[in-house]
Amino acid sequence: MQTQPRRPGELVFNILMLAGSLFLLWSAYGISGFEALSAPGAVPMVTTLAMVICALLILRDTLRKSPVTGEKLERDILPLPVLVTIAMIAAYALLLKPLGFVPTSLVFLAVMIRYLARCSLPRAVLLSVAIVALIYLVFRLVFTVLMPAGIVPEGEIIAWVSGLFAAEGN
Amino acid sequence: MDILNSLLIPILNPELLGLIALGTFAGIYVGAIPGLSVTMAVSILISFTFSWEVYPALALMIGIYMGGVYGGSRTAILLNIPGAPAAIATAIDGYPLAQKGMAGEAIGIVTVVSFIGGFIGIATLAIFAPPLADFAIRFQPRDYMFLALLGILLVGSLSGEGLVKGIFAGALGLGLGSVGMDPLTYTERFTFGTDALRAGVSFVAVMIGMFGISEGLMQLHTVNTPSVKQKVGRVIPSWAVVRKHLPLGLQTSSIGTVIGALPGTGGDIAALIAYDHATRVTKNPEVPFGKGAIEGLVAPETANNAAVGGAFIPMLTLGIPGDAVTAIMIGALFIHGLNPGPMLMVEQPDMFWFIVSALGLANVFMLIFGLTGIRAFVKIVEMPRSVLLPVILLLSIVGAYAVSNSLGDVYWMLGFGVFGYFMKLYGYPLGPVILGVILSRLLDDNWRRAIISEQESLWMLLKGTLASPLSFVLFATVILIFLSKTPLWGMIFRKKAN
Repeated sequence: MQTQPRRPGELVFNILMLAGSLFLLWSAYGISGFEALSAPGAVPMVTTLAMVICALLILRDTLRKSPVTGEKLERDILPLPVLVTIAMIAAYALLLKPLGFVPTSLVFLAVMIRYLARCSLPRAVLLSVAIVALIYLVFRLVFTVLMPAGIVPEGEIIAWVSGLFAAEGN
Repeated sequence: MDILNSLLIPILNPELLGLIALGTFAGIYVGAIPGLSVTMAVSILISFTFSWEVYPALALMIGIYMGGVYGGSRTAILLNIPGAPAAIATAIDGYPLAQKGMAGEAIGIVTVVSFIGGFIGIATLAIFAPPLADFAIRFQPRDYMFLALLGILLVGSLSGEGLVKGIFAGALGLGLGSVGMDPLTYTERFTFGTDALRAGVSFVAVMIGMFGISEGLMQLHTVNTPSVKQKVGRVIPSWAVVRKHLPLGLQTSSIGTVIGALPGTGGDIAALIAYDHATRVTKNPEVPFGKGAIEGLVAPETANNAAVGGAFIPMLTLGIPGDAVTAIMIGALFIHGLNPGPMLMVEQPDMFWFIVSALGLANVFMLIFGLTGIRAFVKIVEMPRSVLLPVILLLSIVGAYAVSNSLGDVYWMLGFGVFGYFMKLYGYPLGPVILGVILSRLLDDNWRRAIISEQESLWMLLKGTLASPLSFVLFATVILIFLSKTPLWGMIFRKKAN
């Protein structure tokens, strides 16, 4: 049987999976214990028990694997672009309400494109403006998705644009 | 007459027709661009269309599904990178053809046979789903329970590193699906006393996290891989070529439909089995398989498009998803207040015929868009991933937020995205997680109904299962899947083979 070598961090991840499964099994037991086969906790107990058994089997197989040669945690599992992207998404979520959709998206895209494509800042900004404009048109105006306005006086701008069209109509 | 009226709804309504065309067009690009998947696109789309009427929302999603399954073949041929798992087999013979300067011919034949396969799948859906739904009304709760288990097990056993990781992922999905208040007794389950968890975990946040963010993070490993450029010549295939491969196409379309209709399997498995079938039945291909055989394109592409119609059969008749995309579509139907299953066919037959008609139209649009604009398409596919990825991530964030205007959902999405990223890295399949979330309610409700009707006796439940032919077959299949993955099974069959 072919077994793949153990990747960096795989053992820790699978130990965490086992620990998490045990915790969930305990929580499932807490729902209604062994009250009845039709009790609300019956299926959660069976599913979390299945998770525990599988996690044990997976951990056993992981321990049997030999560590992979030539792979490093910081290069092959959690390289800098992945960490930066996770941090950028978290930052986006934090800034979305106070700053609003348009400025947050512009900053997010400009920074990400500049970082990943290694292009010049003006080019990254220009691309971001075009993409955000397109997304805004499609999702805000066509799909009518409500996004936080933040520091951008979105309502006033839309009213002003509508007013322009109304004036032209007259 | 009612059927005809329902079939005509998307044809006579310009808005719906336009949405199907738009969906199919977008689907071809979504399926073709490596890093974008149909599952990802449909998950993000649900968050934007949940406030729409059900017909327009479904029209767009069906178009994307149909176009996306076909679109995956484009980059498989042009770049040797399957745009979707269903196009893995297509790359084996498609890319060698492109290297010989025959990319246009390869795309042309793939488009025509995809249309044929798609048509057969849809026709099968239209013919067999109504009687199957009539039959499914007589299903016992235990049958639904076994079907749900079967779906999760099949997806788990056919993807990732094996059944154990598949079962773990499926069980995790079932657990996630049961978070919140139990609908029958209003008991809290896995809420840990927090208000945020009482309403359950947002299905859309799990879905976008697992299929949008985690895929995006994975793509960061190869973000700066340069793309291959190909020349495209003649596209529309000659009638002689189509006629020559029609018999094989019909066989592999049937394979695709049947495999697509099995709960938990989908176009990717159908394509691989069809490719294997073609290598066995084609005695003397003009060009050997793996070097640019047309048969190697016809088989997987007819099968994966036929599987689309097939996948809708269990979804609409039993409420069991055929694959990850139909699992997400079931979620969309739930969001729109519909309940897929045999009663949907009885209570809202117009919905069924609308879906059949929309699939048929999407198939026609796929043929039209597939045979045109390929040179422009090649340029767009060459778009750098370093620009595409931030856009996908932004759309995922906006999608997660838009469902309930909640930043909490964005954090859930990020959490599931990072978790899904590690799961992928360490060989856990993500499909069973989504299937588990979707099927959790069905499994839980039917288990409780089944055991209550047998006076809480496992022995009585087993006796009832063995006495009913359908329950017995389903139960035996579930057991067989387990046994087939045990070392004992391997030992017995290895001995016999030797």
